[in-house]
Amino acid sequence: MENLINLFVRSVFIDNMVFAYFLGMCSFIAVSKTVKTSIGLGIAVICVLVITVPLNWLIENYLLKEGALTWISSDFANVDLDFLSFILFIATIAAMTQLVEMIIEKFSPSLYNALGIFLPLIAVNCAILGGSLFMQQREFNTIAEVSVYALGSGIGWALAIVSIAAIREKITYSNIPAPLKGTGITFILTGLMAIAFMSFMGIKI
Amino acid sequence: MINNNNITKNKEPLFSAKNLKLLKGPLNEVNPITIQVLGICSALAVTVQIKPALVMAISVTVVVAFSNLIISLIRNTIPSRIRIIVQLIIVAALVIIVDQFLKAYMYDVSKKLSVFVGLIITNCIIMGRLEAFAMNNKPWPSFLDGIGNGLGYGIILVIVAFFRELLGSGKILGHQVVPQSFYDAGYIDNGLMILPPMALIIIGIIIWIQRSISKNIVNN
Amino acid sequence: MFSNRYIFIYSTILVIVVAIAITLTSLTLKPKQLENIRIEKMQNILKAANINADKNNAKKLYEQYITECFAVNIKGEKINNINAFNIDLEKEFKKNKVEQQLPVYVCTGKNSEKYYIIPIKGKGLWGPIWGYIGLCDDFNTIYGTFFDHQGETPGLGAEINTDKFQNNFKGKKIFDEKGEFTSVKVIKGGANPDDIHSVDAISGSTITSNGVSEMIKSCLSLYIEFFKNQRQKEICYDKQ
Repeated sequence: MENLINLFVRSVFIDNMVFAYFLGMCSFIAVSKTVKTSIGLGIAVICVLVITVPLNWLIENYLLKEGALTWISSDFANVDLDFLSFILFIATIAAMTQLVEMIIEKFSPSLYNALGIFLPLIAVNCAILGGSLFMQQREFNTIAEVSVYALGSGIGWALAIVSIAAIREKITYSNIPAPLKGTGITFILTGLMAIAFMSFMGIKI
Repeated sequence: MINNNNITKNKEPLFSAKNLKLLKGPLNEVNPITIQVLGICSALAVTVQIKPALVMAISVTVVVAFSNLIISLIRNTIPSRIRIIVQLIIVAALVIIVDQFLKAYMYDVSKKLSVFVGLIITNCIIMGRLEAFAMNNKPWPSFLDGIGNGLGYGIILVIVAFFRELLGSGKILGHQVVPQSFYDAGYIDNGLMILPPMALIIIGIIIWIQRSISKNIVNN
Repeated sequence: MFSNRYIFIYSTILVIVVAIAITLTSLTLKPKQLENIRIEKMQNILKAANINADKNNAKKLYEQYITECFAVNIKGEKINNINAFNIDLEKEFKKNKVEQQLPVYVCTGKNSEKYYIIPIKGKGLWGPIWGYIGLCDDFNTIYGTFFDHQGETPGLGAEINTDKFQNNFKGKKIFDEKGEFTSVKVIKGGANPDDIHSVDAISGSTITSNGVSEMIKSCLSLYIEFFKNQRQKEICYDKQ
């Protein structure tokens, strides 16, 4: 349990998707103009991460890894399909975002109106594929760990985009040099926030 | 780059003025990173040193160029309903091939790039170019457009990596360029340069400089 | 526009073509990739014997210095007829203790002094960490070490693969005066430089450091019987 909390805190703050690995920067810069839309996108990212990362973990461990196919027959012990991982991961992600979109549309039209436009965007959000690829690299042992990691990363990403959106709303009224306005200042702000987030590095629970 | 363009100018009509613009535009006026703000996702983490940045730039160029070419070749046969998934599959396949080549021939760099090779798949530049250009244009211009965008992306990557490697570890391409006498006199490498935040700040500064020079770039 | 039938056939053909292309590339490049991994392993083993090899001369140096490579079991007995180089530690650790095959690499230096290199594997913060420990022929003093990791935090846990951290281990001892196995611990907040059983941790990376301590302890403890069997009176002349 302690291990899981630790993992959660680390994936939210220290190994934050945006500030430590720059994942999902495109939508991060493009959508963070207002707090309201950022919250929408943030929630959508959390949902999709929590669904796809554990799913891809199952694919990785019961289909792709060397020796993963032994549950079918011990003849497959030496089969290593790892080279297919990229294509299967992205296919899962694309299919899942489509599915989530359809389910939300059917059962909660109001949520669909709030999130709907972001979901198709998410299939090509690097944070989602990045979550799965880090999962593969870090060799998590249990599905609980993977789910906690996915949730933590998603919340970390949402936290980042909401806080940067709040700052951007404020600085609309600031006197920024014209060439730096918009994207330029957002990059620098993100950099400064990343430095602030580095102060979490020493923490341990 | 300049040399390349001089040579290619003679080869009309393959490199007509319009085609050349496809190549050169992304380097400055419509640079994918600084102007269109695409493809930053998988890029910044690989800019601690120049070498991985170069390899990353080349990999992305190869993937953009060939996916543009392939999609453009089959653009009239793709059913629009499964358009995105077809594009994703082709891009993913190309990325897997690039990844396998890196693992076989540039093992140490491929280890440094780690997950970021895979993340080329979701590099917004690639999907962006496929949707905006390759779906509506002939193969050859699409190919050039891909190369242009790949290079435009690569140039920013290498510039960022240059400053980070020089200031962060006093090296360029792994060779020590800051002389030992500097260190003896009390010069210290700026450790912050190696850490992620500086990549963002450097890009911010590049955007600032670029927009100050060419005022006509519309601010969004 | 396009019928469902067309879409179905189209996607099937696409998937087949793509699958063939990927599989072909993967199969043709596989031997080369495995070779790279082998060479890296050789480099790492040599590093634990304080020999710096690059990827071009690793094979040559490996053949020159690593004179023997065998596996032992938990009782310290040599296992015959086995290619110890290809042993996958991960798989061995999952086995019953009695059945485990534990690789040992023997490095013979220029003056025919011998070093024994033990592979180790453990878990860091984000994923596996592994390495090699080179022991002098008193089976007590650490001659050299090598650690590497897969995805530890850059600037913190990732520092374990730097010389700065690895050199701390040189000359440390894994047995105390009474001959009890104590291992070498990575201690947060600074180890006493005179303490021969501990080294400084990397600040801010408690979990990775604990992982390294745990990895050294658990892996070396499997070899205790082997060390005791082999121990000779010769004393290693520490070059540091």
